[in-house]
Order: sequence, then C-alpha cells, then structure tokens
Amino acid sequence: MSSTTATPTDITSPSLYLHGIPHERFAAIRETPGLVWHRYGNSGFWAVTRHGDVKEVSKRPEVFSSAIGHTNLWDLEADALKARRSIIDTDAPDHTRLRRLVSKAFTPRNIRRWEDITRTIASGLLDDFIDQGGGDWVKLVAAPLPIQVILSILGVPISDAEFLVELSNHLVEGTGDQPSLSADAYGNKTPLRLLPFGSPASHALYSYGERLGSLRRDDPRDDIVTLLARSQDNGSLSAAEFRNFFHVLVFAGNETTRTAITHGAMAFAEFGDQWDRLMADPSLVEAAVEEVIRWATPVLHMRRTAATDTELAGTQIAAGDKVVMWYASANRDPSVFEEPFTFDIARVDNPHFAFGGGGPHFCLGAFLARMEVQVLLEEMMKRRLGFRFAQPAVRTPSNFVHGVLSVGLEAVIR
Amino acid sequence: MSDLVRISLDAEVCIGVGQCELLEPTVFVLDDDEGISMLVGSAHLVPERAELVVNRCPSGAIRIAEDASPMGLESTQIPDG
Repeated sequence: MSSTTATPTDITSPSLYLHGIPHERFAAIRETPGLVWHRYGNSGFWAVTRHGDVKEVSKRPEVFSSAIGHTNLWDLEADALKARRSIIDTDAPDHTRLRRLVSKAFTPRNIRRWEDITRTIASGLLDDFIDQGGGDWVKLVAAPLPIQVILSILGVPISDAEFLVELSNHLVEGTGDQPSLSADAYGNKTPLRLLPFGSPASHALYSYGERLGSLRRDDPRDDIVTLLARSQDNGSLSAAEFRNFFHVLVFAGNETTRTAITHGAMAFAEFGDQWDRLMADPSLVEAAVEEVIRWATPVLHMRRTAATDTELAGTQIAAGDKVVMWYASANRDPSVFEEPFTFDIARVDNPHFAFGGGGPHFCLGAFLARMEVQVLLEEMMKRRLGFRFAQPAVRTPSNFVHGVLSVGLEAVIR
Repeated sequence: MSDLVRISLDAEVCIGVGQCELLEPTVFVLDDDEGISMLVGSAHLVPERAELVVNRCPSGAIRIAEDASPMGLESTQIPDG
C-alpha cells in the first residue's frame, strides 16, 4: 500500500456484530475522504464503504481480483486456496466456465417453475407457526423454507434438510472466532486449513455431495447434482470444483435467504405500520421484497485483491492490497438512499447491493431469493400474520454474514 | 422508427443472469445450452428501454451500439464485443 490512514474504529471484530451492524463506525469511514486503511492481522485492507466505490470495485474484476489471496479477509496459502476454490474465488475464464454451467437454472424464467413448490412449503410452515401462536421464527420458518427450496432445485433429498442446516450453522461459526466443533467432527481427517471456513462441517458437506454425485451417476435425474456429476465425468469440472460447487450452492442457497427472511420478519415486528401498509396495498409487494433484502444485507462484505497498481476514490492502491467491499455500509449510504435507516416498503429507488455491486459475481441466486421472499410475504398477507417480539434476537458473531441464530416472535393476526 | 437504438451483447462477458430476458423477451433469450443470453430478431429498442436493460444487466455485457443502424436493414445477431 502507498499510504496509511488511521482507522477511526475497528469494524472486523466478530463480537461487535452480536449487537448488530456497527453503523456509526461505517458512517465515520464513509464520511472520510478517499479510502480508509483498516488494520487487520499483520497487515490490513482498504475499507470500501461508499455505494459508488463498491460499484466501481465490482465492475472492474480485471483489476480487483477474486482469485488472488482469498475473498474473505484472511489470506489462504496456495494449496488451501486450490483445495477450497469455488465460483466465488475465481476470475474469468474459470469463473465464466463455472457460472455458465449452472446459470440457466437460476434465471427469472426458470426460477418461476419453483414458485408453486415454494408456496406449498411456505404455507405449511406458516400454518404450523400460527397454530403454535408463534415461536422461534428462525427455526420454524426462516431456516426450513430456503433449505427445502434449494434442495429441491439441486436434487437433494428434503429429508436431509435439517442435517444440512446444521452443517450450514457450523460453517457460519467458521467465520467468527468461536467454533464449536472439534477438528475430527463428522469423521474429518482433512487439515482444517484446507476446508472452507476452516470447518470440519465442510468435510461433511463435501462427503455428502460426493455420495449424492455417485448416486446420480447411477441414476441420473433432471437436477443440478446430476449436471455437476456429468460435468466432472466429461472433464469440465475437476473433483475439487465439484465438491466446492456443491458446497457453495447448498450453503449460499440457504443461509443467505434465511437471513433475509429473518431480518424481514423482525423489521415488520418493529415497524408494524409498514406491515399494515403492505396488507392495505399488496401491489407494493415487489418493492417490499427489495426493501427487506436491502434491510437484511445477508452478506456483509466481500474482498477483492488488487491485481495491479490502481486508484480508487482518489486513493492509490498497490498491487496485492486487499480491497474489501462493505455491502452493509453501501446499503445505508445516504448519498444514494433517502433516509437509509428507515424501513420503507414502498421505497421507489432502491439500487441496493445485497446481491453484490454488479459485475460477474452478481449473486447467482438473486431471483431465487426474491421469489422466496415474495412468496413468503404473499402467504403471510393471506393469513394476515403480523408479529410481536417475544424473545430478543440472538445474533451470529460474524463480520461476514448478518446472521440471526434465533428470535422469538409472537404470531399476531392483524 | 428512427428513434430506435441497436443493442449489442458481449458473449464473453455475459454470465446468464437472465435479467434482460425478463425485461425484453422479444430482444433477448437465454440460451439454455450455452447459459448466456442471445439477441433475437433485429435487436432494436426505444432508447428508454435500452438504457434500462443496459443499467440492469449486472455483468455489463449489454451496450447500446454506437453505429445506430436503421431498423430493418439486417439482423444484428452477432455480438460485436
């Protein structure tokens, strides 16, 4: 790096996030001209916090690489990066090859085919939630809905949904500093540094995917696991790419939407007037979906690494510098969002970056997530289901995901 | 008619999000085999819709072609990078 700027305050300590996103700290960084150098480990990163700067980093993938170092804050050694590399940690042409293998399954046209199944799943979960008078929203609705939908799309038995949610929860722990698993959990013998999130749960998810891939080779179906297994057989995917593709689709396909659905319900519990407004005018539902997703910002940041010397926001960046895009901050940037801290389900201009700031790594599951949230809101409206807080949210101690482990909500029919 | 602008699509950059097909299904179709969008027909749009499609495309693969050729002369399906 070519210059240093004092960090006003730390934004990386996982325990900070137990109290929610440290918005005041992000505001201070956003308001500092140029880019702020934030210390991290033995070095640091450029904290990119303004909406326009996040967009610029996202749209210059040839300069701001996903393949160098890692896309999380910490660096990986070369062998670990090779073992763990997924569609997230690649640049063109590898990224393009991986993305195009599965892109068609996630287009708006093809996602529509899963709407009826999603509605059936959501209806059952909401009816149970209402019958019990409410309860832990995460456990009863927000976790089961997206995992069951993504498993349906991938071709994974829904009977394994709870196990795969359990693995996802352990992966999230791997982004914080309080892992609960021993290194040999799930029969793991792989060194943790070679596993995504350094978690033995990744070993379990790898093994599960490989077993399912073998089953689909013998008994092919019209599903994504079959497609990935075939791609490995015809040489378009390596064995490691197969493992990591399965891993990222299961994990990112459920954990993120769970977070969106949870923060959405919490927002409607806190701002009951917005729920009444939506029920009074259901035509606002698409705008409400976008606002729920902006409000939630399930993934707080992604890192890039400068492939060459460059400049951003008037700051010189040296080749090899880490550049971290904080979506959590960009989505509250007052220069783009009018009253950014107001949950406004009718927000007209809402160019949020909850799916990333554009460019090749734009969220693969964006239209799936939107469909799931919309179907859920529609089914909630049908039941006139509102909420009151019963137990406070227990948040994930992570600077990477905006997770909520549990939140007690009372079902209130409005 | 002369107000229409021609759309170009960079097949090397497209990642098959499908946003364009959602907005303008008569101009874009996602090729299920290639996993990317293709232009169909004459690939012309009114400027407002063209700008919307360009702005909504996450990958940046869609552009308004500089040489705004008059509509109807020939098909322009070949991506011009």
